[in-house]
Amino acid sequence: MRLYWKVVLINGVVLCLALLALVLGPMSVSRSTVASEVLVLAGGLAAILLTNALLLRSSLAPVDRVVRAMAYVDLTGPDGRLAAPPSGPGRSLVDGFNAMLDRLEEEQGTSNAKALAAQEAERHRIAQELHDEVGQHLTVVLLGLKQLEGQVPAAQAAEVAVLRESVRDGLDDVRRVARRLRPGVLEDLGLTSALAALTNDLGRHHPAEVRRVIAPGLPGLASDTELVVYRVAQEALTNAARHSRAKQVTLSLVRIGEGLVLEVADDGIGFDASTSGAGLRGMHERSRLVRGDLRITSRPGQGTTVRLAVPLAVGPS
Amino acid sequence: MTAPARLLLADDHALVRRGVRLILEQEPDLTVVAEAGDGAEAVEVARRTPLDLVVLDIAMPRMTGLQAAREIGRARTGSQPPKLLMLSMHDNEQYFFESLKVGACGYVLKSVADEDLVGACRAALRGEAFVYPGAMSALVRDYLGRLRRGERVPSTVLTEREDQVLKLIAEGSSSKEIARELTIAVKTVERHRANILAKLDMRDRTQLTRYAIRAGLIEP
Ligand SMILES: Nc1ncnc2c1ncn2[C@@H]1O[C@H](COP(=O)(O)OP(=O)(O)OP(=O)(O)O)[C@@H](O)[C@H]1O
Ligand SMILES: [Mg+2]
Repeated sequence: MRLYWKVVLINGVVLCLALLALVLGPMSVSRSTVASEVLVLAGGLAAILLTNALLLRSSLAPVDRVVRAMAYVDLTGPDGRLAAPPSGPGRSLVDGFNAMLDRLEEEQGTSNAKALAAQEAERHRIAQELHDEVGQHLTVVLLGLKQLEGQVPAAQAAEVAVLRESVRDGLDDVRRVARRLRPGVLEDLGLTSALAALTNDLGRHHPAEVRRVIAPGLPGLASDTELVVYRVAQEALTNAARHSRAKQVTLSLVRIGEGLVLEVADDGIGFDASTSGAGLRGMHERSRLVRGDLRITSRPGQGTTVRLAVPLAVGPS
Repeated sequence: MTAPARLLLADDHALVRRGVRLILEQEPDLTVVAEAGDGAEAVEVARRTPLDLVVLDIAMPRMTGLQAAREIGRARTGSQPPKLLMLSMHDNEQYFFESLKVGACGYVLKSVADEDLVGACRAALRGEAFVYPGAMSALVRDYLGRLRRGERVPSTVLTEREDQVLKLIAEGSSSKEIARELTIAVKTVERHRANILAKLDMRDRTQLTRYAIRAGLIEP
């Protein structure tokens, strides 16, 4: 609204001045216009337009900047914010725009957090049911078949043995799926054990030497922060295994000041700073949920280091 | 013949308990004298019943198997506390190490309970550790890592065969797979496994726990 009035005012003032100049000035326009008069009129018009343009320019410049920023803004950090002019309607426009970005980012953050939390809860429920229902029933069948095998004639016993192996495979599958869905160790035994399990898994399936440096006696974290640390470590280790061709991968978790620092470093092929992907984005997103600070440093041929620092005392947002 | 060992069986799933019981009772040297449906009940029963061995499911309501194991291990003062064996759905060596830490001497995966449980009970009663295969591969890999980095490790002389078995265990192969790979009997593989553990000073609960702590696999 104020911008609108400012434009009206500028136009009004310029036109009034032109009118005054016309009334009070020495020039006149004859019924059949002569060339010299046209020249003066053209000059006057040009002067009006120029004054108007100059005055409007400074007022409307912020609008252009906001429009440009809207096209390119990236809601992932404070870099997208515009510098506000010192005063005037442009300032309130830019301030309003920046506030809107803040709000959007905030809302996106909460809805991401909600989505992630809902996803984790759902995984948790499914894994639990797999373990507690399907797994138990299969165990009953497995043990029952073993029992049966000793009681039937040899011909049938062989058949029962085949069934028993098949049930065992089913049980293994259930367990594997449940384990992928939910880091049961994290909940039951804590972060240290869960990270140790992750590095063991990697060591088992990958030729790289996996080293683990976990400081003893680390203070506990809020449970959602632990989950974030775990998921970031999981993604970083998976990436190292899948892409890095490293000879050595080191995971460390230490306390530095008022924070806990997770570091996953490999000596592999590294990657370009412009690389992006769902995994890398997911790490950033999760880290932001718990006010963590995530840095990924990598250069082609130089290996990769993923470093996540999370605050100790404060909980989630 | 000596009297059969007295067992307490704790699992929250009644049918699983029944299945385990049937398997154990086929053995003349084992008898199930009590059952419990959760951790707290197991602690309660263990307090008033003389027992040689307690088999605990890890995931139980009211009190988990791990918590119950800790309680049972520390409750008895006068007589010898019963040996503890964990039964679990989780194929994860960290549960094994945690079990050692709370005083259990073995860990049996439910999906191989039909094959391994009886043997594990007997090992536990003898005071030996029953090392679950996933944990053994983690331990062996750590050992090999130390060896490569030139750290001080228990000086051992493994036979060539044992060395082959060791490498395969480190890669996560099961006894069956190793037997096939080396064209030897599964029983022979098991014997090599036992010998390797003995030579690496990982025979019983105390030694294993010490090693796992040093390897950073569990917190002290
Ligand atoms: N430790 C690493 N060493 C070398 N390259 C890596 C490493 N981590 C990531 N990269 C590169 O970055 C890309 C993006 O990684 P990102 O984790 O986002 O996706 P992804 O692993 O390919 O798939 P996913 O979404 O399943 O994680 C990878 O495809 C890979 O080229
Ligand atoms: Mg990835």
